[in-house]
Amino acid sequence: MEINPFYFYTSSNLVELTGEKADNLEELVALLKRCTGSAIFYHVFQSYRDRHFVIEQYHSDFAQWISTSLNEEPLAERLGSLDIRDFTSIRSLRESTIKIIEEYAHKYPQSKNRQGKTPFFFCQSVSVVMPTHYIAWNLEDFYQVIGKIGIRSIHYHLIEARLRLGIHTNDFSYWFRDSLKKEKLAHRIEGIDIYLHTLEEIRKKILHHIEEEMKA
Amino acid sequence: MPSVRLMDYEPIVGHQTTEELYLLAESLKGRRVKMVNSTAVGGGVAEILHRLVPLLDELGIQTQWEVIKGGEDFFVVTKKIHNALHGEPIPFPSRMKEIFLEVSRENLRNTDLDQDMIIIHDPQPLIYIEAKDCTSAKWVWRCHIDISNPDEEVWNFLKGYVEQFDAALFSSPRFSKGLPIPQFLFFPSIDPLSDKNKDLEPEFIDETLERFQIPKDKPIITQISRFDRLKDPIGVIKAYRMAKRYVDCRLVLAGGGASDDPEGEAVINEVRAEAKEDPDIHILLLPPTSSLEINALQRGSTIILQKSIREGFGLTVSEALWKKKPVIGSAVGGIPAQIIPNLTGALVYSIEGTAYQIRYLLSHPDIAKKLGEYGHEYVKEEFLITRKIRRYLLLFHALSHPGERVINL
Repeated sequence: MEINPFYFYTSSNLVELTGEKADNLEELVALLKRCTGSAIFYHVFQSYRDRHFVIEQYHSDFAQWISTSLNEEPLAERLGSLDIRDFTSIRSLRESTIKIIEEYAHKYPQSKNRQGKTPFFFCQSVSVVMPTHYIAWNLEDFYQVIGKIGIRSIHYHLIEARLRLGIHTNDFSYWFRDSLKKEKLAHRIEGIDIYLHTLEEIRKKILHHIEEEMKA
Repeated sequence: MPSVRLMDYEPIVGHQTTEELYLLAESLKGRRVKMVNSTAVGGGVAEILHRLVPLLDELGIQTQWEVIKGGEDFFVVTKKIHNALHGEPIPFPSRMKEIFLEVSRENLRNTDLDQDMIIIHDPQPLIYIEAKDCTSAKWVWRCHIDISNPDEEVWNFLKGYVEQFDAALFSSPRFSKGLPIPQFLFFPSIDPLSDKNKDLEPEFIDETLERFQIPKDKPIITQISRFDRLKDPIGVIKAYRMAKRYVDCRLVLAGGGASDDPEGEAVINEVRAEAKEDPDIHILLLPPTSSLEINALQRGSTIILQKSIREGFGLTVSEALWKKKPVIGSAVGGIPAQIIPNLTGALVYSIEGTAYQIRYLLSHPDIAKKLGEYGHEYVKEEFLITRKIRRYLLLFHALSHPGERVINL
């Protein structure tokens, strides 16, 4: 059986300032409707990577701002509970985010124009994706590389991949399933709760699951 | 400043970080970059360029650094323009514009602009953009100033030049201005190998505290800042007094600014009067060559304050976080970019809030320790010079692929 190797990539992003800001929920919704997909992607997925060393209450910048600046905690909780594993496109993520905020603003109309302590500045990103020098031909190679590769690479393959591929999985699981025919391992990697672990902890979990697989 | 190589940062940021810098630089090898600013010594921009230029060179990007030359009249004008961009209203007669334009154009006549990318730092060399059409370079304006509320007349004069650049770089989303060119976020950075930030022997820290007659018998609360009303030293003393009713501590106010600044001297006198000879308040006037002493004072402190009323970026916050110190900072300027509330520090809005956070952190040393540790990690991720190099490399790629959101190398 011929096996396709796994090529490890990494990505970095340059943050672009859009010059747009929201001071309250109404303005936030208006901007969410017209901002680029890249802005949604940045505020939900990428800015979190820069705080990868800690488990925050909310990964999404929108939920974080609504909590700390607007003090609309119930709304922050609802937005914070959006699980990126349920989305395969920015469009659907954008729609769900707007729907949750609009429902909340309808229920609590006074919240719409309440000014935040600090504005929410909309940013977007320019991503630079590049191959690393690492390639895995089998599970042993993969194990070695995961132990030493940068966390940006893990974020790229495990978290950003979903939206890039438009499927409910990640690059690692896809390769385990498709090339190595290791369904159980693929499933275990998909089951890692990315919200409750730092990226270094996620690295350890991946290594642990591979060790278990190699022992079996 | 002793020269350093990228590998010297590896024990600090990890092999993965430097490896990715080499990867990002691979397809940029041979590109020529010119940095232009207004001073070779003194000030944060010159300090960082001294390190950045050789490190970019090491990555294969041929980087030249040019300093614009001018007489006293030119720098008087550029200083006024600088203050006006910060929001101070100034008279801006045509003679000032003439001096600004003439000196810049004189510099331009003697400048080689045969580069791929030209980075103009701050407003002083802004007029260099007049040469854009004679070059094939991409032009970038790196603005280190908060221009969110500038003097309108001065800004209207400069705006026409700024809009000709291919991109502009700002230190905070708060500092930027609506412009028709791409604007990118470029946080300032600190150098972990500099005298101000490098690791120190505990003996040196103790000796420094002894030299300044600061006993270690109580927790030490410190603000490092020049003596300037915008740094609110009086507010710091008031907050210390409010906190001291509950938790015994010492206060250190350390900085420069007295010898060459008449206003600074007045502020020091106000601070001394407010301190009322409290033996637990230590007011230290430090010469500009005190980087090691500032480093030691920060490391010897229990909590660091930055209770400014207005602030540029406030890199003293990152300096303190790098030393794993819990920081209490005002929500002004670039401080909110460095302090994520309750994660990398405490963000405050008043003297009362500052006093409460001092009490809270002195009463919960475990939480204070955690804030310092997370702060250190956050600075490692966002505010070290290695991150700045990464941003420049990404910028060079973005300039080569205008309009692209995802660049596949």
